[in-house]
Amino acid sequence: MTLAEHVRGESARLAALCTACGACVRACPMTPYARGAGEDSAVTAWGMRELLRDGEGNAPGLAWIAACTRSGQCSAACPEGLDAAFMLRLAQWRAKGALGEAARIPVKEDPGLPSRVKAFARLTLTEEEQREWL
Amino acid sequence: MAVAEKPDAIFWYGCNMTRHGEVIRATTRILEAVGVAAAPQGGPASCCGSPKDASARINEGMARRTIESFNASGAPTLVTWCPSCHMNMQDSMAPVTPTNFETVHVTEVLTARQDALRPLLARAVPARVLVHAHLGFNGRVPVNDLVPALLRLIPGVTVLDHPYRAPGHMCSSIAAVPGALADAHRATLATMAETGADTLVTIFHSCHREAVALERHGIRVVNWIHLLAASMGIDAEDEYKAWRNAADPRAAIGAERLEAAGAVAFTRLIEGELTKPPVV
Repeated sequence: MTLAEHVRGESARLAALCTACGACVRACPMTPYARGAGEDSAVTAWGMRELLRDGEGNAPGLAWIAACTRSGQCSAACPEGLDAAFMLRLAQWRAKGALGEAARIPVKEDPGLPSRVKAFARLTLTEEEQREWL
Repeated sequence: MAVAEKPDAIFWYGCNMTRHGEVIRATTRILEAVGVAAAPQGGPASCCGSPKDASARINEGMARRTIESFNASGAPTLVTWCPSCHMNMQDSMAPVTPTNFETVHVTEVLTARQDALRPLLARAVPARVLVHAHLGFNGRVPVNDLVPALLRLIPGVTVLDHPYRAPGHMCSSIAAVPGALADAHRATLATMAETGADTLVTIFHSCHREAVALERHGIRVVNWIHLLAASMGIDAEDEYKAWRNAADPRAAIGAERLEAAGAVAFTRLIEGELTKPPVV
């Protein structure tokens, strides 16, 4: 199985079980940081679920997906007992264009990350530790 | 630090932990002291793939290479540090690439071996601590209970309870959302004042990286491993904190080590982080 197949399969499975009631949005501590996401929690949840169904989503749903920081409160709040936090993870992948579509939320990749990690290693690890641990 | 050819475990410290070499070193020594010979492994060659979330193909390739390396080691256990790495292993890496190891978090390993750990915590470390806790990850591994319980084994440490939990699973996630990290730091400082704590104890590396600048507000910031190491007599000087709070990080690091890191790399990749204004 590929990651893309895993993302597609889990998206379809979880979206089929989700009722888009909005309990996840209401429980989320990041909703206040996502423009429009708190106005109608069911609409926001619907937008997230649409993305998992290969749809376009909607503006509050995308704002909420972009603000997800994996707090996990959504899963505890889901009346269906779904792993809503994983649904958000799947939705982030899809909204970032991981499956080859155009990105719908900002993608904040740090191209300097590997070089920065190694530069710090040269400061904090011995040469032997760098050889063995990196 | 020599580790057996076929270690009991791989200590997968992640990528951004290289800022805190002493934490990698001390954690490895603590694991060894309680009977777990763990070989540290991390950095870009052992990536979970999440820096490339915008491409499932690239993400998968990075993750697959990492799992194949862990599988080839023959180690039956993967000890994680980073909550992102841990969750990605469970959510997207292992379901796609079969693993021949068990994944456990370092707090779980030390908790399971606390009978061996307790007598090693011989030195008193006077501190009234507040543990910097997040909402996330605790549902996977109850770190918000495990870390305070481990700290309570240290003579002299008083852990103060408070219900505040920052959003997210660690500070790097909320740092990417405008305003969220500053709100969390303000709430943390208020909680410190309310509880009378003198020491903020971080659980994760990215929280530590972001929180050390809070020392400018008159508190002390350490990682939980620093406290365990101090009680065991393991040297674990927090150089990153010293550099981050120095008036002149270049002088604090010293010319010889700057040269070892690479002058261009330091200027381009590190200096901005060490000199940026604190968020609060």
